[in-house]
Amino acid sequence: VTTGKRDGAAEIQERLGALDKLLEHRVRLAICVLLSRYDRLSFSRLKDLTGETDGSLGAHLRRLEEERYVRVKKEFADRKPVSWYALTAAGRAALTAHLHAMEALIRGADLAG
Amino acid sequence: MTMRKEETGMGQSHKVREDLGYVRDVVGRAEHSGTPRAIWYLWAVVGFIGFALIDFAPQRVGPYWAVAGPIGFLASAWLGARHARHVGQESVREGYAYMLHWGAMGAAIFLLALLPATGDMTSHAMARVVVLILALSYFLAGVHLTPALKWMGLMMTAGYGLLFFLDQYAWTIVGAIVAVGLIAVAHFTAKRPPRVAATPQRT
Repeated sequence: VTTGKRDGAAEIQERLGALDKLLEHRVRLAICVLLSRYDRLSFSRLKDLTGETDGSLGAHLRRLEEERYVRVKKEFADRKPVSWYALTAAGRAALTAHLHAMEALIRGADLAG
Repeated sequence: MTMRKEETGMGQSHKVREDLGYVRDVVGRAEHSGTPRAIWYLWAVVGFIGFALIDFAPQRVGPYWAVAGPIGFLASAWLGARHARHVGQESVREGYAYMLHWGAMGAAIFLLALLPATGDMTSHAMARVVVLILALSYFLAGVHLTPALKWMGLMMTAGYGLLFFLDQYAWTIVGAIVAVGLIAVAHFTAKRPPRVAATPQRT
């Protein structure tokens, strides 16, 4: 039984380790999921959808940009600056791996429960 | 220690479920970016004139739709793309789905128009079949693209039924039903293009 529990604990640790640290925050996860569904979203649209403040959303996007998960393109519309965000290939791969890890974690918890 | 790790795993799983719930809400909100009102108004006008012509100038129906159909289609695509830019949510895949849906409807009507030319169908019968194609297309658009359009499909089916009972100005009445339905869709479901919000400048 002890060995079984140890195996189970090791498995959980393995699943937790497979989660992408950057995408563990739900706002960054939501941003990446949205960008995987749409070609590009503006800063103000992301703000509307996530309900975050300018500062908080900007910080999350900056982290995703630093890790090259998203890329930004600045344009002008009606003479106002608009930042458009899109998911990079690296971001898409990281999101897919993270979602698989989440799925495995939930499935494991369901089996254990 | 082992138990604590398993409990941590269970807690993590609970957090993952909560996070997924949040992501689902956010994605659900993004699905309601809406269709610009201008598209529904455009087709209300184009459709009403096109149907009324059957009563008042039947010889001009073909040329009218040959010009108004493609122009309306291109104008709708342009308005849709402009709306997506204003909302701040662009998706080529979504735009492609709309173009395929309405383009397929246009192509079916165009091909149907060959039947009166070959003498296999009367122009009057063809016009009724066009109403049925429109009803089916709007209903399926309601199922797959914009939910409110299901009602448009049902209204057009009712309009098709009316054609059996009305003697005078039947097509004008059907055109008016279609126009009122599209204006109602525009009023209750569509969104005006929002003012472009600037991105806050980073320091």
